[in-house]
Amino acid sequence: MHIPPLKILAAAAACLLAAACTGGVSPSSDSDSKSLKYLIEEPEDAEALKALEEHIAGFEKKSGIDVKVSTLPFDNMRTVLQTQLRSGEGPDVFSWGSGPSFGGALVKAGLVQDLTGAYKKYGWKVFDFAKERVTYDGKVYGIPGELESIGLFYNKKIFADLGLDQPRNLDDLKGAAKAIRAAGKVPLAVGDKEAWEGGHLLSMALSSAVGGDGMEALFSGEKAWDSPEVVAALRLWADFNKAGYLPKSPTSVDYDTSTAMFFSGEAAMIPTGSWLVGEIDDNADFEVGYIPFPAPDGPGIFTGGLGSGPWISATASNKQAAEKFLDFLQSEEHSRWTVENLHTIPPRPMDTAGLDVSPLLSQVLEDTAKVGAGGDFGHNIDVMASDAVNEAMYDGVQAVLTGQQTAEEAAASIKTAAKQ
Amino acid sequence: MTTGATAEAAAPEQEETPRRRRPWRTIKAGTPRVTRKAQARLGVFMVAPLVAMVAVFLLLPMVNAIYYVFVDFNGFDPDPPWIGFSNFTELAQDPDVWAAFKNNVIWIVIGTSAPIVFGLGLAVLVWNVRRGSVLYRIAFFLPFMLPQVAVGVVWGWIYEPSRGWLNRVLETVGLGSLAKGWLGDPDTALYAVLGTAIWATVGFVFVIFLSALRNVDVDLVDAARLDGANAFQRLRHIILPQIMPVFLMVTTITLLGGFSVFDIVFVMTGGGPAGATEVLGTYAYSSAFQLNRISYGTTLALVITVISIPFAVWMNRLQRKLSLQGMGA
Repeated sequence: MHIPPLKILAAAAACLLAAACTGGVSPSSDSDSKSLKYLIEEPEDAEALKALEEHIAGFEKKSGIDVKVSTLPFDNMRTVLQTQLRSGEGPDVFSWGSGPSFGGALVKAGLVQDLTGAYKKYGWKVFDFAKERVTYDGKVYGIPGELESIGLFYNKKIFADLGLDQPRNLDDLKGAAKAIRAAGKVPLAVGDKEAWEGGHLLSMALSSAVGGDGMEALFSGEKAWDSPEVVAALRLWADFNKAGYLPKSPTSVDYDTSTAMFFSGEAAMIPTGSWLVGEIDDNADFEVGYIPFPAPDGPGIFTGGLGSGPWISATASNKQAAEKFLDFLQSEEHSRWTVENLHTIPPRPMDTAGLDVSPLLSQVLEDTAKVGAGGDFGHNIDVMASDAVNEAMYDGVQAVLTGQQTAEEAAASIKTAAKQ
Repeated sequence: MTTGATAEAAAPEQEETPRRRRPWRTIKAGTPRVTRKAQARLGVFMVAPLVAMVAVFLLLPMVNAIYYVFVDFNGFDPDPPWIGFSNFTELAQDPDVWAAFKNNVIWIVIGTSAPIVFGLGLAVLVWNVRRGSVLYRIAFFLPFMLPQVAVGVVWGWIYEPSRGWLNRVLETVGLGSLAKGWLGDPDTALYAVLGTAIWATVGFVFVIFLSALRNVDVDLVDAARLDGANAFQRLRHIILPQIMPVFLMVTTITLLGGFSVFDIVFVMTGGGPAGATEVLGTYAYSSAFQLNRISYGTTLALVITVISIPFAVWMNRLQRKLSLQGMGA
C-alpha cells in the first residue's frame, strides 16, 4: 500500500503534537505493588547514601517491598520534584521540607497524600510542635524530618589558650571576639556568599533577643518585620563585620570555606546548625562546645528548625506499601540508626541510652530533647516564612554586610515581602 | 571551497539581476515528471526531522510561553487564572528589573567590546607567527572549550578573599591594599564575573579572527605600509574592511550573549551580593524557580528574547549588505 509522504509527515506531526500537549496528573505507570520509588536530597557524603541504602535493604528483606532510592541535588529538587509530581511520574515517597514554601505548597496543589489516618493506624510519635509544621487545615500530610538547632560552635582550645570563658550574654561574646581578633584569629567564621546563611544569622540573633513567643508573633503578624528587635538583630551583624569579628568580606566567603576556617583553627567560632556535628567530629582535632547564640541579657536560646522528612505522593502506585515504608522511617530502630550513622536527630521522643555517639552529638541530643519537651526555642525563619520573605531576608543580610542597605532598610524590605 | 561572499563578488553579472535567478526552474524543466516527484518526496523526508524538531523544541515552547505570560502560573495550579497584561505592567514598574537590565547593558558593552579588542589584537599579533602558532591557538582557545560552570567555580576560588591567588599575588607585589572580596563587594562583583567571561570568550574571538586574517590580501597591507600607514591605520583601513563580515558575525554572537547571560553569573554569585550582579537571566530564573512565579519569569525571558531580536536582525542585515558589496574575508 502506498501512503503519500505528506500524509505520513502530517500523521507524525499530529502524534508529536499530541504527545507534547498531553499533560496533567495521572496515576504512576509503575503498577508493581511491591516496588517504591524513594527520592531524597543528594547527601554531601557519598558514604551516607551507601549506608542508607544498606539500612533500607533490611526493610526490603523484612517487608518484601523493593525500594529504589534516587537522589537529586537540593538546588534542583524543587523544580524537578514539582514537575514530576504534576506529571504523575514522580517518586512514591520523597524527602522534602515542611515549611509553607516547601511541603505547604505541595499540599495546596493537592500533590501529596493525607496521612491523618496513617498516623492513627500506625501510632506514629512526633513532637507536637513538629507535627504542627506538616498539618494543614487539620490534616497531617508528612512526617517532619530531622530536628535541627542553630547556635554557636566554639573551639574550646582557643578559648582556653586565651583565658576566655564560654560567652553567657552578648557582651561576653563581643569581649571574646575582641580578644580573639587581637590574637590574630578570625572570631566568627561567617560566610554569606550563598545568601541562605544570612537567614540563619538573622534567625539566631533574633530568636535569642525576642524568644520563641516573639518569633511566633513575627510569623503571625502581631509583630512587624521592621520592629526595633529585627533592626537590632540585622545591625548586630553589620556591627560585627565593621568591628572585624567576621572574615574579610563575608559575602565573598562560601559556607564550605567558613567551615574549613573553623576546622583548621583559623576561626574560633562558627554560627551554624547542628547538622555540622558529624563533620566537626570527623575534621576537628580539638574539643568543641555548642551554645545558643547569646542574647543581650542572657545566654539566649537555640533556634530550632526541621529538616526534610518523608511525604507520600498523591499518585503513589501503592499507598499501603508507601505507608509501611514511612512506618519504618519513623520507627525507633531507624531513629537510633540515623543518630548514630547520619548524626541527625529525629523529631520524636526516643531512648538515647546506649547510643554510640560523640560527646558533642550527645550534648546536641540533650538540648534538642529539651526543645521537644516544650522548652523555649527560637525559629529558623527560612523554614517558616514564604519564599518572598526568604528572598528579602537573604538579600537584606547581604546588603547590610556590604553596606548597600541600612538595617532599617533591610527590615523594611522584609516587611514589604511579608505583606505579599 | 569558496565562501558565499567571494563567490558573489566573483560573479557580478548575477548580482545585477538577483531576482530573476531561479535555477530550480531550469532543473525542473529538463527533468522527467516521475523523477521530480521522487525528488520532492525525498526533499520532504529530508526536512521532516528538522521540521518536527523545530515544531517540538522551538514553536511549541514558544506558543506555550506566550500563553504563560498572560496567566498567573505558580508551578502547581493546573488551571492558572488569566491576568492579561499584568505581568508586563509589573515588569515595567519593577525596580529590580531595571537594575538587572542596567547590569545587562554593562555586560553587553564591556562583554562585547573587550573580547573583540583583545581577540583581534591577539589574532593580529599571531597572524604572521609561523613557529608555534598551533600552540598559541590551543592555549588561547582552551578557556572557551571549558564548561562555563567549571570556569565559574575555578575563578570563584581565584577571587576568594583570604585564600584566592589574586589577592595573594597583589599582596606579594606590594599591592595588598587592593586586595578585597572581589565577588562579595557590590562595587567589583559584576566586573569580576565579567572579567572571567571575557577571559573565557577571548579565545573564541581570537581563533575566528585568525582564520579570517588568513584571507586578507597581504599585498594591500604591504602597499599601505609602503605608503606610510601606521599599524593602526593599516588595521582600520586595510585589514578591518576585509574581515568585516566575520567581525560583524563575532560581534553579533558576543552581543547576543550579553542579553542572555546566565550561567556564569549564576555559578559565581547567584546574582548577589544583594542583587549587585543580577542580570535579566538570573532574575527570570529566581522569579520562576525560587519564588515559584513561573509566569513572571517567563515574561522576563520573553522580554529578553524580544529585546535581542532587533539587534540580531540588524547585525545580520549589515553583515549581508557588506557581503553583497564584496567586502570581507
